[in-house]
Amino acid sequence: MGGHSGAVLNDNHIMTASAASPFKGALKAPFTRRAWAELRYTLVTLPLAFAAVAYIVPMLANGLTWALSAPAVRKFGAASRLFARGLLGEDVPAPPRLRSKPGFKLETPDAERLAKAVTAAGSKARVWETRPGVTVQGLALSRISELAAAEGITIREVRPQSEALNWLGGRILDPVTWRTRCYFGAKLPLAVAGLLVAAGGWLGGLFYLAAPVWWSPLRRHFPFAGFPFLAHVTPFAVMPAGLALLLAGPWLLHGITETDRRLVRGLLGPSSPAERIRALEESRARAVDDSAARLRTIERDLHDGTQAQLVALAMKLGLAMDKLHVGDLARVTQLVEDAHRGALEAIADLRTLARGIHPPVLDNGLADALATLVNRSAVPVELIADIPERPSDAIETIAYFSAAELLTNVAKHSGARHATLEAVHVPGLLRVRVSDDGRGGAHPVPEGGLYGLAERVRTVDGRVEIDSPRGGPTTVTVELPSHA
Amino acid sequence: MRIVIAEDAAVIRAGLAEIITDRGHEIVAAVGDAEALKDAVAAHEPDVAIVDVRMPPSHTDEGLRAAITIRRDHPGVGILVFSQYVETRYAADLLAARSGGVGYLLKDRVANVAEFTDAIARIAAGGTALDPEVVSGLLNASRHVSALAALTAREHDVLALMAEGRSNSAIADHLIVSERAVEKHISNIFSKLGLPPSDSDHRRVLAVLAYLGT
Repeated sequence: MGGHSGAVLNDNHIMTASAASPFKGALKAPFTRRAWAELRYTLVTLPLAFAAVAYIVPMLANGLTWALSAPAVRKFGAASRLFARGLLGEDVPAPPRLRSKPGFKLETPDAERLAKAVTAAGSKARVWETRPGVTVQGLALSRISELAAAEGITIREVRPQSEALNWLGGRILDPVTWRTRCYFGAKLPLAVAGLLVAAGGWLGGLFYLAAPVWWSPLRRHFPFAGFPFLAHVTPFAVMPAGLALLLAGPWLLHGITETDRRLVRGLLGPSSPAERIRALEESRARAVDDSAARLRTIERDLHDGTQAQLVALAMKLGLAMDKLHVGDLARVTQLVEDAHRGALEAIADLRTLARGIHPPVLDNGLADALATLVNRSAVPVELIADIPERPSDAIETIAYFSAAELLTNVAKHSGARHATLEAVHVPGLLRVRVSDDGRGGAHPVPEGGLYGLAERVRTVDGRVEIDSPRGGPTTVTVELPSHA
Repeated sequence: MRIVIAEDAAVIRAGLAEIITDRGHEIVAAVGDAEALKDAVAAHEPDVAIVDVRMPPSHTDEGLRAAITIRRDHPGVGILVFSQYVETRYAADLLAARSGGVGYLLKDRVANVAEFTDAIARIAAGGTALDPEVVSGLLNASRHVSALAALTAREHDVLALMAEGRSNSAIADHLIVSERAVEKHISNIFSKLGLPPSDSDHRRVLAVLAYLGT
């Protein structure tokens, strides 16, 4: 109370620079520089706001329309395929169903390089920066890890995008819908052209063929003004034109329908051949890399394990021979015992190694092999196996090692108290699912077990789905075709 | 003798230690990677360091590179490198330093206790110990086919044993001949191959290897 200047009441220096009396400062307010600036700003940005909203809202709605229209567009495509099959005999298989496209938020210090690598890699992927990393949508996580590893980019954390964004991404980016839209864009002119050709061919042809019938009455009513030469033409001269039209019509129509047929096959089918070839090439490259890596692992295991043990064994026996020459039997006994023990260990280790290449128990079938896995697991696992028919050997092997890897992860990382292993074989598809009640947060890291699993599964065109939110529970599903 | 062992496979490390201590030598350090090896050599200045070529982290040639560094920084320390496979390139790199006290053996060779300990002794004395497999590889790959073909079978054997770094008396024992016979063979070999006679065992190894390598 008392002694305070106007400076305490507000912190705007323009205001306080004026008279000590707050009253006078308030009166001056409409005329300060700041006030003018703010007024100008308001007047200028108002139309800007209108323009922006006028643009943004329709664009948003547009995007939403793209997403919402996907199922209906696909239905139109399905109808086209139906008609093509029923009326033309062109059997085009249906494309894959609509799936939400998972997006992943990756925390990385090297966001720009990762974004560039992803854009360069897949035309179907969308990347955008989300500090402190990027969000990628439309590319499998294992592929993203691969790209990052190739560039030497470390990924600190991976979080799956919200389901809403996955849903949106899945619909907006769906290539099938876009191809269907392209198809109808081309189809409409084709259909109109077809109609014109049909009308011209059949109707026009018939019309001119029937010339003798209508020639005279027409001449009477419509003198051929402007076409004097027609006066000298008899109706019978016009008939060949009619015949020509009638005969040409179906051929032209056939040409148009052929084009349409090709479009249906190319655009409404499962995927374009080029896409398929690219996917196959990638898959083959992965298979080759995968087997090369596995061979390297086997070599390492043999070198560091079995070979080392045998060298140590040879050394013990060499020393034993030495001692035998000098008659030190006590020492010889000790050395031979050590050598014997070493040999047994080497045998056991080699057995484990061989099992890691191909477990003999798999010869009895996947269900039995999974049962042994479950028995060996530190965490109690409930096994549900429904495999009426055996899938191919390669698939069984991959399924077995996938289950082994997943169960190892459960035991080592999840902290779970209970887990379930489900293996179901329906015609064409083998599904292996491991769920646990642990702490979640599982995601593939380059060179990690989950990553290797995903790679091996992809080499046979299988799929891995990881549902592991932080806090758990975790469910990993591996889907494999029955035959590689 | 005071010896340092560098080998990442524990079973082999233990086996080596057993053989060496049985011969009365002292193991001053037994390590499992290249960095620890360099530290141990610097700390203990052993007579010989026995080094595996392949060690962590990349399991390619860490041991070899550490061996070359040690040859440069501690010329008084003998180095015996052993490897699972014959890599003549490694042998060449090791010998490039031109001074004695170096050896390159296959891991199989350590199972022959007498040869292994003899190699260590040769290296500690400043000589050379090359694995017979390495030498035969060099002989087979050499371009001096005609000159080598001019050697008799006996001279060929003597050449191989000489390239391994053995002394005249060791060669004589090996071939069950007299030392004088060995000396005669050697002077024949040197004149047939056009090499100048050399004084020390190690220098003649280098001369022979240089000849074979060109």
